[in-house]
Amino acid sequence: MTFPTMLMTMASGMLRTILLFILTLLGSIPFGMLVVACKKSKFKPLAWLTEIYIAIMRGTPLMLQLLVWYFGPAYLFGWKVGKFSIFGLEYRFIALLIGFVLNYAAYFAEIYRSGIDSMPVGQYEAAEILGYSKPQTFFGIILPQVVKRVLPAVTNEVITLVKDTSLASILTYEEVFSLAKQISASQTSFLPFVVAGVFYFIANYVVAWIMKALEKSMQYYK
Amino acid sequence: MKKILAIGLSVLMTAFLFAGCTKQAGSTTSEAQNTSGEKFVFKHGFDLDYPPYSYRNDDGEMGGFDVELCQAVCEYNGWDYQPVPFNWDAKDAELSAGNCDCIWSGFTRNGREDDYTWSISYSDNTQMIMVPDDSDIKTLADLEGKVVGVQTATSAYDLLNDEEGQLELKNTFKDLKVYDTYTIAFNDLQVGGIDAIAIDVTSGNFLMNSNKGYHFLDDVLGSEQYAIGFRKGEEELCEQVNQALLALVENGTYDQIGQKYPDIYEYLCLKPEGQE
Amino acid sequence: MANTNMEIENNQDKIVLKMENIHKRFGHLEVLEGIDLTVKHGEVISIIGPSGSGKSTLLRCATFLESIDKGEIVYLDKKAVTTSNSGKVIYSPKAEMKEIKQYFGLVFQQFNLFPHWSVLQNVMDAPLKVLKRDKKEVEAEARVLLERMGLADKADSYPCNLSGGQQQRVAIARALAMKPEILFFDEPTSALDPELTIEVLKIIRKLAEEKMTMVIVTHEMSFARAVSNRVIFMDGGFIVEQGDPEQVFGNPSRDRTKQFLKSYSEQA
Repeated sequence: MTFPTMLMTMASGMLRTILLFILTLLGSIPFGMLVVACKKSKFKPLAWLTEIYIAIMRGTPLMLQLLVWYFGPAYLFGWKVGKFSIFGLEYRFIALLIGFVLNYAAYFAEIYRSGIDSMPVGQYEAAEILGYSKPQTFFGIILPQVVKRVLPAVTNEVITLVKDTSLASILTYEEVFSLAKQISASQTSFLPFVVAGVFYFIANYVVAWIMKALEKSMQYYK
Repeated sequence: MKKILAIGLSVLMTAFLFAGCTKQAGSTTSEAQNTSGEKFVFKHGFDLDYPPYSYRNDDGEMGGFDVELCQAVCEYNGWDYQPVPFNWDAKDAELSAGNCDCIWSGFTRNGREDDYTWSISYSDNTQMIMVPDDSDIKTLADLEGKVVGVQTATSAYDLLNDEEGQLELKNTFKDLKVYDTYTIAFNDLQVGGIDAIAIDVTSGNFLMNSNKGYHFLDDVLGSEQYAIGFRKGEEELCEQVNQALLALVENGTYDQIGQKYPDIYEYLCLKPEGQE
Repeated sequence: MANTNMEIENNQDKIVLKMENIHKRFGHLEVLEGIDLTVKHGEVISIIGPSGSGKSTLLRCATFLESIDKGEIVYLDKKAVTTSNSGKVIYSPKAEMKEIKQYFGLVFQQFNLFPHWSVLQNVMDAPLKVLKRDKKEVEAEARVLLERMGLADKADSYPCNLSGGQQQRVAIARALAMKPEILFFDEPTSALDPELTIEVLKIIRKLAEEKMTMVIVTHEMSFARAVSNRVIFMDGGFIVEQGDPEQVFGNPSRDRTKQFLKSYSEQA
């Protein structure tokens, strides 16, 4: 295999890595919000269920969760999940997305929660006195400030996600790291890993740069 | 609760043990070869995920045909045996870093002849196609348009990506799914995610022993030999292992160990002289 | 009830707030033990008393930040809270409460400005989003308000770039922008340095001159004496004494009041 061929193959893997990364973020960032809402729900059973969900998501390896999402229905109900597809997407890929989104939503939810809890009660009281409704208070006053507070923690999580995408190889998703493993094994060469490392580094550099720009855009107030 | 705690603790301790293990392996170098006084420590590098050659057996200990054979070789040569279980993807890094003295883990020599100093071959290996009994796939040609699974960094994988191997066949597949381990590939075969698995006959037999309803196609995908890979140029160490191997074949130890592993017994290719 | 204000006009007989027999407990601690308070239009009332006397809690009950355990609260002609014969506290339906809440504003000790908004936006947002008023009109009014607060040049600043006194004046402008019938102040200068205190008190005095109805919880005795029509001294969850500021400060009738004022003048 020539170096350019290898580079092209691995670049295609990087595209799949980025696709998984973006889809996971698009799903988990808003879903995490819903999870916080459930956790803070006054309906206690829902709050407890959410707590259990978060505990499981954070307390077990993501790789295991991916296997459970894919193989679970087969073992529980005897479904031939390998044959499923929804909107032309293999169940394999759907299980992957469910696994990543639910896992990261749990982490994001905890980050949001800590951010929301750190908001001074005076902000809520001022909003209440001025007559804002609950949604107006949350989306107009609380959330923008929470976003600023949690951004550094979210950045950490997002960078971890870039690297965690390599776990997708467990369900044969050919992201850049599993390609590196395959090429390295067949070519008896360490080079593909170095290339993968460079790809990850560049991706995370871009992510860090974007997050920093976001943080900067919110530095106009303390 | 107590039980969970106990399990958690044992997992932690195992982790520490492993950490200790690798550290030890890293700190010793192979310079102490055959110096008098201190015993030479032979560091056996292998993948713990490759039954029945090297794996964690039912008792939870490191075992398998390769592990036992290597231990016998060490005993014969008067060496101390040290297991160095590694991640298969990192085998070359481990070997060149001196963390282990050899790669001995159902390691295919075909196609890698120039990359290592090779011992004599001690086991044949054939790559086969495994399908469910109710499958409509009867020959290699039937694989056209099907989804086939394979484990990454195995000889079956290499074979399917080798122009001189079965690349042409692979190009008829709808897709080749690459797994981290055959166990997951086999699970996926069970739930219908793939139609067939390309696999070493030995690993395949191991899987089929514990799961009924699967068989190999009669067509053979490819064949090759297992041998022990040493750092290129370490002829002396390689020769010592070769001599020990031949001696173990002669005194019957090789055969005794082989009998413990019926899945691969028929593929063990070393025979005492005069029994060819 | 004695009203010594000599400038009562007709509409100033209008009762803005009436609180009757207000009780409030925190766990076993009785914080308010049957408080009656009536505020007429244009009145400026100062509530003084040692910390823990219940004066801040009274404001928080009046503004519904705290629920009450017994009693009745009426704003203008609207009943907000009543207590049934069986002792059940009944708040008015949500829609009505929403209307009632527009009768009053509250200025906090800690300002509680919204830090992510500019000064102008802090003042304009509630009239826009809550009252759904026209933007041009609201902005014009907001600028006038800021002008009155002496903050015309700070409209585009953010709260974090303002001094405490400036922030509190923005908070007052924000409350006034909602055009409340009555404005509550919860220790508005307690978080401020003495020199910043003065600029806030000046504003409140100006509002008093403009006949803004106000209830001020404060520790600034001389200010309370100068600006209010009525002074209420609270202690231990009761109103111990109330009346004309000259009477309460100059010739208190209760020993407890004397004691408190004495300890205060010693501190000062």
